Amino acid sequence: MSDQRLVRLADVIAGHSLELGEGDLVLIQGPALAEPLLVELTRAVLDRGGVPRLRVTVDGVDAAFLGRASDEQLGWLPPYALSEMEAIDARISVIGAWNTRELNRVDPARIAKRQAAAAPVMERFMERSAAGDLRWCVTAFPCDAFAQDSDMSLEAYERFVYGAGWLHLPDPVAAWRGFATTLEALCERLSGVRTIRVLAEDTDLSVGVAERTWVASKGSHNFPDGEVFTGPLETATAGHIRFSFPGIIGGREVEDIRLRFEGGRVVASEAASGEDYLHRIIALDDGASILGEFAIGTNYAVDRFTKQILFDEKIGGTCHMALGAGYPNTGSTNVSALHWDMVCDLRDGGELQADGEPIYRDGRFLPGFFDGSLDPPG
Amino acid sequence: MTGPARGESVVFAPVPDPRLTTLSELLCRYSVDVQPGDLVLVEGPALAQPLMVELVKSVTDLGGHPMVRPRLETADALVMERASRSQLEAVTELDRLEVELPTKTLTIWAAENTRYLSSAPAEHLAARSAAMRPLFDRSLERIAAGDMRWCGTCFPCHAAAQDAGMSLADWEDFVFGAGHLTDADPVAFWREQSARQAAIAERLSAVRELRFVAEDTDITVEVGGRTWLNADGHENFPDGEVYTSPVETATRGHVRFSFDAPYNGREVSGVRLWFEDGRVVREEADRGGDYLTQMLDQDEGARRLGEVAFGLNDEIQQASRDTLFDEKIGGTFHLALGAAFPEAGGANRSGLHWDMVCDLRQGGEVYGDGELLVRDGRFV
Repeated sequence: MSDQRLVRLADVIAGHSLELGEGDLVLIQGPALAEPLLVELTRAVLDRGGVPRLRVTVDGVDAAFLGRASDEQLGWLPPYALSEMEAIDARISVIGAWNTRELNRVDPARIAKRQAAAAPVMERFMERSAAGDLRWCVTAFPCDAFAQDSDMSLEAYERFVYGAGWLHLPDPVAAWRGFATTLEALCERLSGVRTIRVLAEDTDLSVGVAERTWVASKGSHNFPDGEVFTGPLETATAGHIRFSFPGIIGGREVEDIRLRFEGGRVVASEAASGEDYLHRIIALDDGASILGEFAIGTNYAVDRFTKQILFDEKIGGTCHMALGAGYPNTGSTNVSALHWDMVCDLRDGGELQADGEPIYRDGRFLPGFFDGSLDPPG
Repeated sequence: MTGPARGESVVFAPVPDPRLTTLSELLCRYSVDVQPGDLVLVEGPALAQPLMVELVKSVTDLGGHPMVRPRLETADALVMERASRSQLEAVTELDRLEVELPTKTLTIWAAENTRYLSSAPAEHLAARSAAMRPLFDRSLERIAAGDMRWCGTCFPCHAAAQDAGMSLADWEDFVFGAGHLTDADPVAFWREQSARQAAIAERLSAVRELRFVAEDTDITVEVGGRTWLNADGHENFPDGEVYTSPVETATRGHVRFSFDAPYNGREVSGVRLWFEDGRVVREEADRGGDYLTQMLDQDEGARRLGEVAFGLNDEIQQASRDTLFDEKIGGTFHLALGAAFPEAGGANRSGLHWDMVCDLRQGGEVYGDGELLVRDGRFV
């Protein structure tokens, strides 16, 4: 018999995240090790009258290709890629890995070249998503490699992952619907703010957000979920910040990142390890030194850093910001091949101010600014 | 230094079975001849991952673009069991692209469990196969037109070994042996085999009518005007047969197949067929008879022959309940119900292509236009 938490996860994604219906063509993609979840998702899509198609990856194929492909092969856009993107009604991406360091020895430039080739597909994906023609959701399958990165046993990590989705509840969909209402109220409250100031250890950063839209991340595009985010003004960010958790990109860790901003741009950057890599990433293109996202994590069942951004950016009591591409639905105009989220812990003495007024302290919104409860249900 | 507690665990980088590397190279260089710019679809169950990785290396080294599509039989089985009629009949753009775009396709046969579809209602399987038939036909058309080259191969796995009654290690030896992959020069072997088979095909192409006589078997098929094709490792690997598509309306008589004829993971054995004017008018099986009838009733073409062939791989001597190998056993012939090969001149269309093998090695005879061609499985 299937793990009931997996059954619920699949049902929440099919029902709440994607609201699948009769005839929807749903691409389900993920690694073969996530087979139990891929099968449950197939079942959930069928149950709602959809047409599931699986796109499975196996261990070693990427490394074999990336290790030997010519520039021409790396930069080639397969003729099916755009047509597939046009054809599907919804996409579920399951993340999971045999080894999170599998591609460590592959030159990041080679990975970037392949990504650049897929840019037209990404562009069409964003267009269709913005137009509401394409629904999508990213979720995670608890696997040993992720558990290991989190210093947990697989069983403990499963409890963490399913707990973050409140899948122990008999009716998680109802809980997520209630939470969605709360997050929307929070966005409403934040929408009048012109400048957010982040105060924490070695951190005093002002982020201009006037006239930008706050979006509630309520379990549609990510699951588990729980954050509110916006796109900062491209020329207003000023001050300095020290990120509590390592920045992770392309399977690499950059530790103790400190950034200084002037006029919206990173003007100085340091790191305890991986500093060269950090400098290279920030110089990737024009938009890579500008914030594309500022967000506050609101899932208090996610209570620790696990080196998977899907979870880390939702940690209740943290804020995060991303260098690079912004989401157009927030009003952001920043364009970049990069979107790198970095997380700053506010639970121990951190503070947020809105136009000079404290609104958030020690990882919680202050009563008076926001009175809704963000506590996980159950 | 490493302490004694860990001293025994020498860590090796994963090294594939060298025969898999040879297989991959042979498939890409000899079988489908990957050229720079080719889009090469590699499809098969996820458990064939070691061969998929080798194929990605070979394809990439040859300048091709690998398109790897691993499948999960648990998910496939679930769809076949639970899907509604409209879900089973859905043919999507994603399905079409897999058929229309590749210039080379490598299909890997293997299974976690060869009976994985056994809980799926036969009418579901038939509905799915009927819905996919236009795409199946389209594949055959693209192959016949030279727009795509296709090869199906076997990745040795426990499930097939178990069906063959062997350990995995023995099954690997059998599979790789049948492909002559441990020969000093496997390609040279296959070129020689190809020449030997070409001579037999040449001889058969002069024949109008073939009559097969063996235990409980006396069946006549007409092949006049049809083209005999030489299966020399280009479309199946391992290989070793010559085949054609018989005249659709002429087959008459009866046949009893010697070996189990599993299809879609269903056990079917002791199949006997009676033909009149090219059509199966009566069918029986010791096991799986109802399933046989359901499959034959799926469409108009399913009761007619799409193939007649001689197995010519002398390295394969025993039946293994795996059609890929059984149909190549040196000294056998086989017939397939359903889809014919357009490149052989066959016109039969069906969602079915079901090969069944008959042993000629003990007293079997084949006559070509009345003249004895084969005795005890050997061309005279």
